[in-house]
Amino acid sequence: MDASTGPVVSTRHLTKAYGRLLALRQLDLRVEPGEVFGYLGPNGAGKTTTFRLLMGLLRPTSGRASVLGLDTWRASVAVHRQVGYLPGEPVLYDRLTGHQHVEYFRSLRSMPEDKYARALAERLDLELGKPARSLSKGNRQKLALVLALMSRPRLLVLDEPTSGLDPMVQREFHALLREHTAEGGSVLLSSHVLAEVQRVADRIGVLRAGRLVAVERLEDLRRKSLHHLTARFAEPVAAADLHLPDDVRDVVVDGDTVTCSAPQSALDGVLKGVSRWPVVDFGCVEAELEETFLAYYGEETGRVA
Amino acid sequence: MLRDVTLKTIYDQRRGLLAWCVSLALLVAMYVAVWPSIRGQPSMAQFLDSMPKAFRALFAMSGADMSSPAGYVQIELLSFLGPMILLGYAIAAGSSAVAGEEERHTLDMLLANPVSRARVVLEKGAAMVVGVLLLAAVTAAALLFEGPLGDLRLPAGNVVAAMVHLALLALVFGSLALALGASTGRLGLSRAVPAVAAVAAYVVNGLGPLVSWLEPLQKFSPFYQYGGHDPLRTGVSTSGILVAVLTVLAFAGLAVAGFRRRDIAA
Repeated sequence: MDASTGPVVSTRHLTKAYGRLLALRQLDLRVEPGEVFGYLGPNGAGKTTTFRLLMGLLRPTSGRASVLGLDTWRASVAVHRQVGYLPGEPVLYDRLTGHQHVEYFRSLRSMPEDKYARALAERLDLELGKPARSLSKGNRQKLALVLALMSRPRLLVLDEPTSGLDPMVQREFHALLREHTAEGGSVLLSSHVLAEVQRVADRIGVLRAGRLVAVERLEDLRRKSLHHLTARFAEPVAAADLHLPDDVRDVVVDGDTVTCSAPQSALDGVLKGVSRWPVVDFGCVEAELEETFLAYYGEETGRVA
Repeated sequence: MLRDVTLKTIYDQRRGLLAWCVSLALLVAMYVAVWPSIRGQPSMAQFLDSMPKAFRALFAMSGADMSSPAGYVQIELLSFLGPMILLGYAIAAGSSAVAGEEERHTLDMLLANPVSRARVVLEKGAAMVVGVLLLAAVTAAALLFEGPLGDLRLPAGNVVAAMVHLALLALVFGSLALALGASTGRLGLSRAVPAVAAVAAYVVNGLGPLVSWLEPLQKFSPFYQYGGHDPLRTGVSTSGILVAVLTVLAFAGLAVAGFRRRDIAA
């Protein structure tokens, strides 16, 4: 596989078992160059396990994983040269300052200078002079982010990156991600809420109990985005008389009023069905993406949010 | 200062190492100060002679002679307290090298850098070697420079030889702790096992000459390689050094092999 054109992340039947517990089952995942992949799932679904397998911290029970064509277990050092990693709960060295963290990891990465790290800290509004133990949770998260981003890696593996960050910093972080992908870099980031990744992700994958149950382009999900419809008629109607399209859900008839939820693609069919009867009032509101997402994957994934 | 894992590890230990160095220098100073009042005391020799043989064997490495500087330092410093301090440091450093970082959960971010696991464990081991050698060197310097103040004069070559053997003794158990910590990630286990092993080796060496079934085991005790030949009087033992160095290298190899093949605890 050619590292320059092939997928940045590629796993094949990747499986991890802890004793008899299967934390990850037969994962086939691909992340392409320049792509932001949002990895979603409830806590305990296997997101962190996936990331730690990609970082060579865990050894696959079976199957394989590669980053830029390099095996994540056998060639982990070469993989790490190209990857910036933010753990789910980053733990820093209590007594070292931000500058010392930067100095240490910069030396281990043979980076000649720390200009970019300083620039990152400034953009995230992080003071590098203080020891890690005196930093707030949000500031520790920022420092860990600086350490992950500072070597300008080709792939960022970020486990719950926005946890503990305030909205202003999140916006700056999203800007950093866009710059990263504009230069051809890829991002694999996890979250347990769609709302957190929907602004930045190109594709999302949904993990549940160790299985990847869905992968979808975000624009496709938007196309499916649910609309809540309410129609009041001049006289009571029966649902069957409206001839609503099949993918309309949650149809409720209450006397002369009908409510339902329909994906964007079904709106035309709904309007045509409804307009055959005398309409007194009509309303249409687009649902949050989160709700759409839960409507499609909710039963399978449990509550994702 | 934070240019690699070894330097960073030493930097982390700087305060502890300084405290140990000061303590060792003060401890030696105390022994030196007491020496003039002890050496003229025939009752001390009688007291030692009156001790049960087994007890004496544990405390005095070879013979129990409090009337010569070498015998005095042997009993007071080299037979018990010195090894205890250096072993304590080495076992703590060896066990926390990998297992300590793993239990504090800082290992994930460290290993996400392009450094191999072998390099991490060996550089951490190197920091332990530096620390042990520093403590041994400070003890040697204290004996050689503080000693004459109390007329406690020892041949410099033999003091250095004894400290080389003492450092190697500590490194044997320190590298055992390193290997256990690297292979299991468990800090408690990698401290407890070498500590118990050290006590067992100490007892085997001390009682070997008196207990017939222990006698064949004595030569395998690292304490025998350390003090069986009486380094303060006879200098270095090549075979003792060789056995200790090979043991340390074997444990270092096990540490690398054990660390490379396993999962890092989350």
